[in-house]
Amino acid sequence: MDKIIISTLMLAGAFFILVAAIGIVRFKDLYSRLHASTKAPSFGIFLIVLGVSLFFNMPIVYLKGFFIIVFVYLTAPLAAHSIVKSFNDKEKDTNSFLQKKEPKS
Amino acid sequence: MKLLKKIYFTLEFIVFYLVKLVEANFYIAWDILTPKMHTKPAFMEIPVTLKSDLGLLLFSNLLSMTPGTMSMDISPDKKTVLVHVLYYSTDDIMLKDFNRIQDKIKRVTG
Amino acid sequence: MEDSVSNTVLIIAFSMLLAALVLAFARLLKGPSINDRIAAMDLIAAVVMGFVLVYSVMINKSIYFDIPVIISLISFIGTVAVSTYLKHRYG
Repeated sequence: MDKIIISTLMLAGAFFILVAAIGIVRFKDLYSRLHASTKAPSFGIFLIVLGVSLFFNMPIVYLKGFFIIVFVYLTAPLAAHSIVKSFNDKEKDTNSFLQKKEPKS
Repeated sequence: MKLLKKIYFTLEFIVFYLVKLVEANFYIAWDILTPKMHTKPAFMEIPVTLKSDLGLLLFSNLLSMTPGTMSMDISPDKKTVLVHVLYYSTDDIMLKDFNRIQDKIKRVTG
Repeated sequence: MEDSVSNTVLIIAFSMLLAALVLAFARLLKGPSINDRIAAMDLIAAVVMGFVLVYSVMINKSIYFDIPVIISLISFIGTVAVSTYLKHRYG
């Protein structure tokens, strides 16, 4: 029974990372790509870490898994934010950022 | 009594966060794997009424994890957040959703 | 192999991660702007974390669990460093 849960969690995690990779190839502009590459890999790592720590079943492994999940979830939006900031400062001369309503596509 | 209420709201917020997280991932997986894209991207400026830094951090982090929205920038006076929306419908519906999230966070951070 | 996860599951997980690595590498090669390449590098770090975790299940050694902690910190610092460099260069 344990093995079924662990296998399902690991396969689902790998599947969500694969979804993120397909999304980063298929979407048209940078902002939509960042949507795919922020949410899905964090969730995939979350599921894989959950499955692997259930597999080892030791207190130190649970603690390390908790640290991994907290780091990933705190840093993924910040990484996307810094990528967007450096992207927009490049074309600041054409349109000011906080007034722009329509995406450039 | 006040502490008990705060613990209750914090637990409710954590459950809400986890539900939104799973929902967001299934939305984006369905959108990527079906051949036709249903996206309608747009930028929105939304006013925030949160005062504390912890509240702003929670709000922008939750926006980045909810289905179809991602926080991009904050104005220098911390009054406006710029959000990129993937499934845009109308301004009113989206603003009502954002205000509901802000009320939840305000009850947690006090 | 009484206690372990079946080999088929591990092979399927490895092949999914390998496909993800190839697709992210394609975006890394042809991305129109540098920012697309940074996003692809971020995704590749996540894929490598998944590889190490699944491999630690395969050889049944929990010491490998330390590596993803380090990768998750280093990849974030790398992303922010390259973005800040670009911002100062073009800004």
